[in-house]
Amino acid sequence: MRDLLRHPTGLAGAILLAVVLLAALFGSFLAPHDPQLFHPATRLQGPSASFWLGTDQFGRDLFSRILNGARTTVAFGVSATLLGVGFGAMIGITAGVVGGWIDSLIMRLVDGLLAVPDLLFTLLIVTVLGGGAGHALLAVAVAFTPGMARISRSAVLSVRTREFVQAAVARGESRAYIIGAEVLPNALGPLIVEATIRVSFAIMLGATLGFLGLGAQPPSTEWGLMIAEARQYMFRNPWCVAAPGAAIAIAALGFNLFGDALRDLIDPRGRR
Amino acid sequence: MSAAPNIAQGSGREAAPAVLEVRGYSLAYETPAGLFHALKDINLAVRHGRTLGLVGESGSGKTSLAWAILRYLAGNAREGAGQLLISGEDLRTKTPAQIRDIRGRRIGMVFQDPSTSLNPTLTLGQQLAEVLVRHRGLSEKEARDQGEALLARTGISRPADMMGRYPHQASGGEKQRVVIATAFACNPECIIFDEPTTALDVITARQIQDLFVKLQDETGVAALYISHDLALVSRIAHDLAVIHRGTIVEQGPAQQVFSAPRDDYSRRLIAAVPRPTHRLVHNVPAATGEPLLRLDKATIRYGESTLVERLLGRRQSEVVGARDVTLTARKGEILGIVGESGSGKSTIARAIAGLNAFDGTVKLGDRSFGSREALDRAYRRRVQIIFQNPDGSLNPRQRIRTILSRPLKLYGLVPEGGLDARVAELLEQVLLPKDFALRYPHQLSGGEKQRVAIARAFASEPDVVLCDEVTSSLDVSVQAAIARLLVDLQARTGSTCLFITHDINLVRQLAHRILVMYRGECVDVFDVDQCDAPDRHPYTRSLLDAVPAPAGG
Repeated sequence: MRDLLRHPTGLAGAILLAVVLLAALFGSFLAPHDPQLFHPATRLQGPSASFWLGTDQFGRDLFSRILNGARTTVAFGVSATLLGVGFGAMIGITAGVVGGWIDSLIMRLVDGLLAVPDLLFTLLIVTVLGGGAGHALLAVAVAFTPGMARISRSAVLSVRTREFVQAAVARGESRAYIIGAEVLPNALGPLIVEATIRVSFAIMLGATLGFLGLGAQPPSTEWGLMIAEARQYMFRNPWCVAAPGAAIAIAALGFNLFGDALRDLIDPRGRR
Repeated sequence: MSAAPNIAQGSGREAAPAVLEVRGYSLAYETPAGLFHALKDINLAVRHGRTLGLVGESGSGKTSLAWAILRYLAGNAREGAGQLLISGEDLRTKTPAQIRDIRGRRIGMVFQDPSTSLNPTLTLGQQLAEVLVRHRGLSEKEARDQGEALLARTGISRPADMMGRYPHQASGGEKQRVVIATAFACNPECIIFDEPTTALDVITARQIQDLFVKLQDETGVAALYISHDLALVSRIAHDLAVIHRGTIVEQGPAQQVFSAPRDDYSRRLIAAVPRPTHRLVHNVPAATGEPLLRLDKATIRYGESTLVERLLGRRQSEVVGARDVTLTARKGEILGIVGESGSGKSTIARAIAGLNAFDGTVKLGDRSFGSREALDRAYRRRVQIIFQNPDGSLNPRQRIRTILSRPLKLYGLVPEGGLDARVAELLEQVLLPKDFALRYPHQLSGGEKQRVAIARAFASEPDVVLCDEVTSSLDVSVQAAIARLLVDLQARTGSTCLFITHDINLVRQLAHRILVMYRGECVDVFDVDQCDAPDRHPYTRSLLDAVPAPAGG
C-alpha cells in the first residue's frame, strides 16, 4: 500500500478515488439541499453562494444531486464489474483448468463475443431485456464476461505450468486442492487489477445507458441521466451538463489510474 | 593430479602495456532500499596477448563491470571515482558518439546467449557485414567477402552458405561462432566475453573454448573473460581475478590462484569445484536381488495432436521426448543420468514422477504400472521429485510450514498435533533453523529454498527421489553444499536417487552408476569407476572429454 502511494499515478488515483468514495458513502448527508426539491425562482442558475454548482431546469441544486448520485453511479459500476468478473472468472478458470477441446470450444465462443464492442453488446442486451437500472447492470456484467474469461484463463494457464503446481500433481493432490490452494491464489493478482480498471468502464457504460434513457429512470440522480435530462438546456446553463460530466470523468479516472498503478506494482518485471 | 592443464598460449609477453585498465572504479545502483554498491574500488589490467579471467558468483558485479566498460549503464546507476582506460584513454570522458565508434571497433563483445544477441530478422551475413561497413568503411561486396573469410577462421565449414542463413536456421554453437567472428571482425584491441559458453551444450562449449584460445593466440587480442566457472577459466586464462560482492578479493596468474589461493573466499570457491576423484559417496548398494525401480521400454511423446489436426490427418506436432528407454535402479543406489539439453533426461524423470504420459511400464518393487493414470497416491508417496529451480517449485503464497506439512497431511503420515514438531525436524534435517517454518519462500536465498524443496521431497519418506538438475540454478559454492546434503540424506534414509544433471564432474563425484542419454535414447550405462573403460560408447567418450577434470586440488 505504501508503494502504491509512492507511485505518482497511484497517488493521483487514490486521491480521486477517496473523493468519489467519500461522496458515495456520505454524499446524502453532506448535501446542502434536498436533491429533489424544486426552487422555481432560481432555475438554470450558475454557481452562487447557496447553490455551489448552480441549478438545473427545475431549480434543483446540482451539487446536492451529484453528491446523491455518487452512490448510485459507483454502486452500479462496482456491482456490474463484480458480477462480470465473477461470471468471467468462472468460465475462464474452468477452460484453463479443464483444457482440451472444452477449452477450445469455450474460448472460440468467447473470441466471437469479444469481437462485439462493449457498448453495442450492452445496448443489444438492454433492448432484449428492456430498460431500467437492474437490466442495465446485468447487461454491463454480461458484456464484461468474455474479456474477463480470457484474462482469467491466461492467468490460470501461466500459473498451471509453474513447478510448484507440477510438484502438487506429482504428489497426487486432488484437482480441487490444486486449483483452490495452488493455482487460484497466484492467479488472483491480474484479475483484481483488471477488475479495478474495468469499474471505470462500467461507470461510463452505465452513464451512457442512462443518457440514452435505457438505464436509471427519472427522478434518479444517476449522473448519465442528469446529463440526458439537462441536454436541451445546455446553452442556457452549461453547468448542468458540465458538472455531472466532470463527476463521471473523476470517478472513471480515479479507478483507472488506481488500477494502472496496481498493475505496475503487481507485475514483477516492473519491480526491482 | 595433472589432468586438464592450462591451454592458454603465448604467455611470454609480460612487459606488454595494459590495453584495458580499470583503476579504482566504483559503481552503485539507486534502489528503493538505498544505494547498492555493485563495484567497489576495482583495479584490473588486461595486457596485449593475455586473457584475464574474471570469476564470481551471481550478483558479484562481474557483468556490471562489463557494462560499465562498454559505457552502457542502467538509468539508476551512479558512478563513483575511478578510470576506465582503453590504451590509456579514459572511456568516461568520451562523448556518446565517440563511444559508439569505440564499441565494436576497439572493444569487441561476446555475450552469453547467442540466440538473443543476434537479430532474428537479419541474416547472419548481414549482421557480420554491418560491423565491417560501419567501422572499417568497406563496401557491401568487400564486407561480404571479408565476412566469409572471418567465418572460415572460426571453423564454420561452409561460410558462404552460413552468411545467407537467419539465426533460427543455425545451431547455438554456429551462432556463437558468428558472434565471435563479429567481435574479431575489426581487429579490436580488447574483447569482453561474458559467459560465452554457459548457454551451450558441453561438447559445443568445449569447441567454442578451444576456438577462443586459438583466435586469442593468433590475434593477440587482450581478452576479459567473465565466467562463474572457475575450473573453465583457470584452464583458458593467463590471469585470474576473483570478484566477491563487488570487490576483487584475489588476482594473479591463473594456475597460481587456482592451485594455491590465498583469500578465504577464493579458497572456498575453488574447494567447491566438483572433482571426480573426490568421491562424496562411500557406500556401495547391494548388487544382488531385484532392482527397486524399473522402467521398461518407456516412450514419451510431447504435443498430442489436437482434434482438428487429427481430422485433417496431420500429426506433425508430436515430438518424441524419449524412445524405448529401459533403466533399473537398485535400493540405495544413486543413478546419474547425463546428456545435453533436449536429450530426454528430464523427460524420463517427469514420466517416473507421473507428470508425463508414457507408453511402456514402470515397476516399483513388486507393483507394475502401464500408464500415467495407473500411478496411484501410494506410488506417488514412494516416488518424489525435486525440481531444478527452487523459485518455481515453492508456492510463493504459502509459508514454509504449509509447504512442508502438505505431504504429511496428504499421505496421513503424522497425526494432526504432531505436524509442527515434524516440520521442525524436517527443517533440521536439511540444516535450516526451525523458525524458517514461518517464513515465505521469497524471504529465503536460492540455496535455502532448494533445501526446503529437498525437505519436502523427503517428508513422505520416499523410496525413490528424482533430482532434476537440482544444483544447476545455484552458485558454485551453494551447489557443493546441496550435493553433499542430498548424498547425506540419501545414505541416511537408504532411498534410491536418480540424479539428473549436465555436470559431468559432479555426477562422477556422487553417482554409483551413470546412464547417458542422447537424442531421446539411452546410449550407455556403466559403473562410475568404468568411465575410462575402452568399451564406452563414442558419445560418452566425447562427453567425458569435453569436460576435463579440474587441475590441482
